[in-house]
Amino acid sequence: MSGVSTRDLPVPALARTGLLSWIATTDHKRIGIMYMVTAFAFFFVAGIMAMLIRAQLAQPNQSIVTSHTYSQLFTLHGTAMIFFFVVPFAFGLANFLVPLQIGAPDMAFPRLNAFTYWIFLLGALTVMSGAATNGGAAASGWFAYVPLSGIKISSGLGQDFWILGILMASISSILTSINLITTVFIYRAPGMTMWRIPIFTWEMVATALLVLMAFPALTADLGMLLIDRRFGGHFFDPAAGGSAVLYQHLFWFFGHPEVYIMILPYFGVVTEIVSTFSRKPVFGYVGMVLAAFAIAGLSMGVWAHHMFTTGAVSDPFFSAVSFLIAVPTGIKFFNWIGTMWRGSISLTTPMLFAVGFLLNFLNGGITGVMVASPPIDFHAEDSYFLVSHFHYVIGGGSLFAIFAALFFWFPKIFGVKLNEYWGKVCFAFEFIGFNLTFFPMYFLGVMGMPRRVYTYPNLPGWGSLNALATLGAAIMAVGVIIFVVNVIVSAIRRAPVPDDPWGGFTLEWATTSPPPAHNFDRLPPIRSERPVFDLRQSDLGSQRKR
Amino acid sequence: MKGRWIGSPGLATVFVVTLGLGGCGWASLPSGATSQAELMHRDWTVFTIAGLCVFAIVGGLIVGAPFVWRRRGEALPPQFRRNVPIEIITTVIPLIMIALLFVLTYRVESVVERLSPSPSTIVDVVGFRWSWRFQYSGTSVQVIGTPKQPPEMVIPLGRTTRINLESADVNHAFWVPGFLFKRDAIPGVHNSFDWHPDHLGVFVGRCAEFCGLEHAFMTFAVRVVPPDEFERWLRQHETRPTAYRQGPR
Repeated sequence: MSGVSTRDLPVPALARTGLLSWIATTDHKRIGIMYMVTAFAFFFVAGIMAMLIRAQLAQPNQSIVTSHTYSQLFTLHGTAMIFFFVVPFAFGLANFLVPLQIGAPDMAFPRLNAFTYWIFLLGALTVMSGAATNGGAAASGWFAYVPLSGIKISSGLGQDFWILGILMASISSILTSINLITTVFIYRAPGMTMWRIPIFTWEMVATALLVLMAFPALTADLGMLLIDRRFGGHFFDPAAGGSAVLYQHLFWFFGHPEVYIMILPYFGVVTEIVSTFSRKPVFGYVGMVLAAFAIAGLSMGVWAHHMFTTGAVSDPFFSAVSFLIAVPTGIKFFNWIGTMWRGSISLTTPMLFAVGFLLNFLNGGITGVMVASPPIDFHAEDSYFLVSHFHYVIGGGSLFAIFAALFFWFPKIFGVKLNEYWGKVCFAFEFIGFNLTFFPMYFLGVMGMPRRVYTYPNLPGWGSLNALATLGAAIMAVGVIIFVVNVIVSAIRRAPVPDDPWGGFTLEWATTSPPPAHNFDRLPPIRSERPVFDLRQSDLGSQRKR
Repeated sequence: MKGRWIGSPGLATVFVVTLGLGGCGWASLPSGATSQAELMHRDWTVFTIAGLCVFAIVGGLIVGAPFVWRRRGEALPPQFRRNVPIEIITTVIPLIMIALLFVLTYRVESVVERLSPSPSTIVDVVGFRWSWRFQYSGTSVQVIGTPKQPPEMVIPLGRTTRINLESADVNHAFWVPGFLFKRDAIPGVHNSFDWHPDHLGVFVGRCAEFCGLEHAFMTFAVRVVPPDEFERWLRQHETRPTAYRQGPR
């Protein structure tokens, strides 16, 4: 299947070592690491912005930052977390893992792969560099509704930089998705049938298909916005026969699938981890895969639930389809529980983060069903209730799965195992800090606090609930610092680590840590979705016979 | 083992606290001062109870599993992969739950969205950066606010008030938390909805769609008064056709 082995290919002298070897690389593992490191850098930047936001909101009537700075902060916080952290981290992890999990030597299009990384980085830097322009960075929120993001109100270059940067990141995502799908469909090792590929790889296939359907809508929407702003267009100008609601339709046609683009890969991460640390196969493998595709399919038909309060979409269809997503999501939950059922469970750091993911995501999923009901959404929309809901999904969900993935695959990626005790302490800070930050926001929302206000009056309860949220955010920040110190100390100590420290199931655990450039010297026979487990069992069996 | 306390006991604590606080969260919800809001409040209650039950059962299983089936040795646990009857049950139960919740949603939404054929008062509301203008239809009474002096809307108790909503510049959202209701004001879009207030009082309103620098101060008030007092208020300000500003922040 693999054709020419990468070992046989001549490598130019300049590209063998040092910085240039990284810049010139087309190795999926190096590109994956570059994606993940870059994404984490943007997590720090967006995290610092979140801390400034929480500092400003810690008490009523404060003015630590100006209103204009605050608008830029929440715009860039949301943009960076979504477009430059959660999504690219998933693509980075997939870049590293998917070829390994299917027994391939690399991605299908290695040079396209390198291109997608660099254009993503360029896009992210373009958005951020808006802060250096005269009018400051974009300040119209991560969904940049017109007319606020139009040239009349947001006349600065920062908004244009934002549009161009997001366009680049979106093209990067589309190309990466094509690459991933092609890789999974045609680069699988002999014996690796579609019904044997690991759940993480399946979830990435669903994610990539979703990207191909959703991102073109964003590209078109932002292209039209740019034409309106700089080239005299009137797509969204009601005075000239355009429509401001059209922008919202196109944006959320992308925006809701985007939520699942941000969560499906992490469903895969959590599935692998729960299965490994329960020492059991995934319960309901086929149901798990079908549920992923059901979620992806349904998510294409729910965009207008972001627009219930516009009055433009009173059709109960959107509410019904949104509710329906709870069914495949429920199947996943029961399958995760089924995987743990009667297992032999070790609460290692990755498993702790995975269980934290399950609890937080359950919380966000339940309030998600609530806001899918228009009579509830009429109050909850654009309030702190909604802020809390989506942070439970993306922060309590995706972010926790990212930490789980880092602790789980760090030994495979770098040949270094992170300290388990400090990993658990990091989890405690993140889990308590997260719930302390975002649970009070449900209260603030139902009490009537709107999102994106840079300050608020001293009403009963508002000050103390906001102070709690700020305290929680500080606890989360300490957890992140503990994580960084853990990475540095573990990297310096370099305790010897076996190729398969966790007793993994999937093919990436069959090679060395870190894997060689060509990935595998030899592949074990692939007869189920757990080839490494099968190999271990047959080794044990032959030992017993002897 | 070091760090054992972080495992099951820590998870269980946060789980139980969350469950308990969920109920308090519901208690902080305004009771809803219009007849429409009373229906929506009922939906909030049902959804919250259903949500807490699901959180208790599913969350309990998630937190309980690692505790009950802790790894105790090298013996491999049973390697089962499926259980079709259970998989069918866990698909059908959520399906039934959401079907019931949808019926509830649909019935309430159709009442909330219904427009009365004969509203007793019509107020044309225009959102602008960064306040609101209330024009009482068929009269010369107009209230215009500023971020520093938010406007106050006076409406009669027990009668239907129609709000016609528009925006003069960017998107805004007209939100009265006490009525559990908001609607967007979007340029080029004309939105209408009815309120049937059944509680006296002053209810604070806020802009809920980010609209720029002074978004946080784009507040207003809605004062519900008895019908005769409303008529008096209207007549009194009809005789003073100049723009009228009033109201606390």
